[in-house]
Amino acid sequence: MNPTLGAYRPLRTPMHLAPAWFKVLLLALVSVLMIFVQDMATGVAFASASLALYLSTLPPWRTALKAILWTFLFAAMAAGYQLWRGEWQLGVDIATDLLTVVFLALAVSTATPMSEMLDLLSGVLRPFRRFVPHETIGLMFSLLIRLIPEMVQILGESRQAAMARGVERSPRAILVPAATRTVGFAVDLGQALHARGIADGVVEERDEVVDSELPKSRRARRALESRKARRRAAR
Amino acid sequence: MIVFEDAAVVAPDSGVTILEPTTLTLSERHISVIGANGSGKSTLARLINGLVMPTEGTVTVEGKTTRKHGREVRRMVGFLFTDPSAQLIMPTAAEDVMLSLRRTVKGKDARMRAALEALESLGLADRADVAVSALSGGQRQLLALAGVLAVAPKIIVADEPTTLLDLKWRGHVGALLRSLPVQLIEVTHDLDSAMRAERTLVIDSGKVVFDGAPGDAVQFYRDLIFGRPEQTQRV
Repeated sequence: MNPTLGAYRPLRTPMHLAPAWFKVLLLALVSVLMIFVQDMATGVAFASASLALYLSTLPPWRTALKAILWTFLFAAMAAGYQLWRGEWQLGVDIATDLLTVVFLALAVSTATPMSEMLDLLSGVLRPFRRFVPHETIGLMFSLLIRLIPEMVQILGESRQAAMARGVERSPRAILVPAATRTVGFAVDLGQALHARGIADGVVEERDEVVDSELPKSRRARRALESRKARRRAAR
Repeated sequence: MIVFEDAAVVAPDSGVTILEPTTLTLSERHISVIGANGSGKSTLARLINGLVMPTEGTVTVEGKTTRKHGREVRRMVGFLFTDPSAQLIMPTAAEDVMLSLRRTVKGKDARMRAALEALESLGLADRADVAVSALSGGQRQLLALAGVLAVAPKIIVADEPTTLLDLKWRGHVGALLRSLPVQLIEVTHDLDSAMRAERTLVIDSGKVVFDGAPGDAVQFYRDLIFGRPEQTQRV
């Protein structure tokens, strides 16, 4: 399972106290900046600063250690490939870019509750509510994050089941049950959203948008209301 | 009060009858529903909060039909699933309860307070910031219940809420559900729990074949399963 999912802890470090928009903006700016940074010393400085920032959020040490080791492993693999091609400078550049961005992302996710991120996303998308269902997209993101550990678990269990049957070398024996179970989980999740009235909220949100654009004339308003009533009845 | 009037469910594609026309009035505080796998118990339960719509007849909750007033009915009827994992959407416990409160409690701080109160009432206060994926099965079911109770439903429909739990958690969750000041419709394979209800329905092949006192219902169910030919429909 991804060790960093749900790693948020309510602390009072500077990163925790900073507003979510600032943290996301910082992440976006540094990510873009890293594309242009070619100098090795600057890259290493950025990576070290990001790691220090991540550690300043006081993540659980076991989680932090796992996350750091995995990130270094991936960075080493990326750098190793470039080294093998004889482009060691590019390798170091890629590795420091990766380390900087991942450590900064870890710092942001460890110090920001998901609800704040969703509020931020909803707020950013709110001006575009005529075209984009902003709350739905926020919910979609949280569902996406929620699904990752579930899918990892489903894949692990499918692999174990295949091993138990002695067919662990067959990708089909792992992927087919995993896909079926994932779809089943998604169906259950959909039902749960409906049961908790969260899917109703999405519909309300659409109606709110329609309400804000109600035409001025009484006749046109009545026509729109009756259209909404018909839509509700159809639901 | 929940009223089924000739409510039937037929699968739209295959035409298979999942629940035969059923007429019932459920007014007791604790009603249990028992029956074999695939007998139609879950369909009956899902009809109550509009997760499944009757293809014939109506289901009315507190005077509101599920077809016309689905949203209002779902606000009155909380639903607890067998697998709580599918019911939990946000990464941490407090955030998940806050999601339930998104439509009813305005302001992030107020939502957080209400969520913490809901968690505290079920003994989960110290788990508020723990990742959902790190909770035990019993704690997840309690968290799902906290999410349901946070919006103060009048009725709780629990679809085999203790099936995946160990003996300790089964007893704890079962006792907690029975102690709630709401009407409880409990679909269960746990005959001891079914016996604690005021009224029990036995479902077999999409039909309510027994409706009465829990002791008699459980005896009827045992006879049905172990094949006493003299047993006939007793509704």
